[in-house]
Amino acid sequence: MNATAPDRPDLDRLRAQARWLSLLLVAIGLHVFESALPSLGPWFKPGLANIVTLLALVMLGPRAAVTLALGRVLLGSMFIGTLLTPTFFLSLSGTIAATTVILAAWRWLPGVSLVGISLLGAMAHMVAQFVVVEHFYIQQPALYHLLPPMLLLSAATGWINGALAAYLCARVRP
Amino acid sequence: MPSLATAAPARQDLRRLLTGSGADRLLLVLAIVTIAALWLWMQREVPAGPPMVMIYHGKHLLAEYPIPTGGAPIHVHAKGDIGVSDIVIDTHGVHFESSPCIGKQCILAGTKHHAGDIIACVPNRILVSIRGSGARNDGYDGIVQ
Repeated sequence: MNATAPDRPDLDRLRAQARWLSLLLVAIGLHVFESALPSLGPWFKPGLANIVTLLALVMLGPRAAVTLALGRVLLGSMFIGTLLTPTFFLSLSGTIAATTVILAAWRWLPGVSLVGISLLGAMAHMVAQFVVVEHFYIQQPALYHLLPPMLLLSAATGWINGALAAYLCARVRP
Repeated sequence: MPSLATAAPARQDLRRLLTGSGADRLLLVLAIVTIAALWLWMQREVPAGPPMVMIYHGKHLLAEYPIPTGGAPIHVHAKGDIGVSDIVIDTHGVHFESSPCIGKQCILAGTKHHAGDIIACVPNRILVSIRGSGARNDGYDGIVQ
């Protein structure tokens, strides 16, 4: 009888999958934690989970960052009970916009560090949320009067989150 | 727990990272200039006249009231997608007293009284906007549709 050894999984691949899963769990945890924070103002969240998206981008690459961001919104919303509610769609639209801008800046803006990339991502997140709210829910252009102060806040949090992501990358990256 | 010897360089690293690269700082300046220009442009778009509270459900104007200079508060019961929001207009401005939404962000937004201020209840699709930037007058009490 000629027994063949079963295919062993590639260790590097397994390690990458384990890292992705660990980051996803941290991102979901931060997503839930942010939802439990006392409100810092209407529609304002510090965007801590975006730090994990930036970590995934640096450690595992663009595809892992995109799947992690989308997985975090989907699973995080299930945990906090907002799946398919307006909150979920706002979070999803903001995440898609932020991740797209983050990937574009990572790919095409030389000299811009994670701090600048995070700044652009946070602002894209905020703009996308306003567009979705105006288009599908409120349907009044007057809503955009709230945009400048919210953009200013998101620029500040994006900057700080980017610095934290860069700090963590320098320590976590192998 | 990091020792004092390792904690100090870590703090310095974070401080250095917080300043960003030259390109990051350029992006930040561009972002702030863009936001300031957007804000100035929006302020110019605010129509002149006495401050008016406009209450919308989606595209429909539900009610329009001047901010009163005295008298009893006005309660507007705005029917939205998920229920009725109680909106109060008084001499201090306008605020949401109650709303059927889960997050209550509209109530947490507090009282607004400046021209261009808005409060939105996204789940109920109710928007309260203050239009007009001139002096108050109480020529009429309100328009309700």
